[in-house]
Amino acid sequence: MTLFRKRPKPKLMEAAHDLVSWKDWFEAYGPKLLLCARHWTRSLADAEDVVQEAFVRYWRHQRQLPGDPQALLITSVRRAALDLARRTDRRLQREEKANGGLEDRNEFFEPQPGDDAERRREIEGALQHLPPEQREVLVLKIWQELTFEQIAATLDISPNTAASRYRYALTALRKELKPLCHG
Amino acid sequence: MDDQLLDLEAELRALRPRRPSPQLAKRIELDLSADQGPERVVTPMANEQKVFRWPWFGAALAAAAAVAVVATVGVLRWQDQAPSAESALVATLSVPTSMPAQVASTDPVAPASTYRPVRASNVLYDLKDEGVVYLDDRTPARQMRYRYLDTYTWKNPKNNASVKWSMPRDEVRVMPASLTMN
Repeated sequence: MTLFRKRPKPKLMEAAHDLVSWKDWFEAYGPKLLLCARHWTRSLADAEDVVQEAFVRYWRHQRQLPGDPQALLITSVRRAALDLARRTDRRLQREEKANGGLEDRNEFFEPQPGDDAERRREIEGALQHLPPEQREVLVLKIWQELTFEQIAATLDISPNTAASRYRYALTALRKELKPLCHG
Repeated sequence: MDDQLLDLEAELRALRPRRPSPQLAKRIELDLSADQGPERVVTPMANEQKVFRWPWFGAALAAAAAVAVVATVGVLRWQDQAPSAESALVATLSVPTSMPAQVASTDPVAPASTYRPVRASNVLYDLKDEGVVYLDDRTPARQMRYRYLDTYTWKNPKNNASVKWSMPRDEVRVMPASLTMN
């Protein structure tokens, strides 16, 4: 007996299924998932934990489920991050951070050959200053390349709200960042 | 969107998310290559009410009842054993109350060749936010429906035959609606 309605596979899902090895999949999508998780958790270690949990669960049990695999994983990462936040003693974490766990807090992006490291750090700092609801929409739009409809489904908001938060986020970043000098 | 925002968009897109550490990939590799043991049971959260509902798949109930007839003696032996991690895990999962009634009515004297429980797992395959509800004291709360597939495996150590029983299960959780992320 069929448990799930069959839907036509979207292009992304077909492309994802071409990556047979979990390593290929993780190579392709791991950095983006980790970036999302970084914005939903308090540390790099917590972010890697939720990515591990979500990815292992997906690869073991959810690959055959219908739906966009990337959206499924992002939702799973977000829920794992929410669960972790509820389980964690926040006072204890603040104490641990005060003892020097800040070394990886702002490094969200890879250094690239020829890039401006100071500018990259400036952007990372500005992202941290965004309200969380704007930051998560920005991350999903820019680096996960989701549509506003997909973002709305993931965050359980309307597409209009997603679009508004995205515009506010960009506007806030523009205000905080120094303008780039061209030529 | 004006040109400055478009430029900023392009600048942001040019940034590459940081790669996960090699240790993370290694941990995932170990997880995926290990034998599939019992899945971690989702532990109840504080201040939430749980409502267990009967599985929504009536045909699976009938099939499970048929399988349970075969596995009946094994289940009785399992109940007599000292609590183990696996049996404690399964004991926390909801099962139809009709099953224990059938089990209890069977001859408790187990034959020599008997099925023993070897594995229990549950897979969360769907999660749905059913919106805001109101508790009896008018407190707003969020209702979430978790859909699991529970799988139990018994093995006969004499001939290595195994019985696997899968049952879909709905779990509805009602949580205070004031949770926000910082």
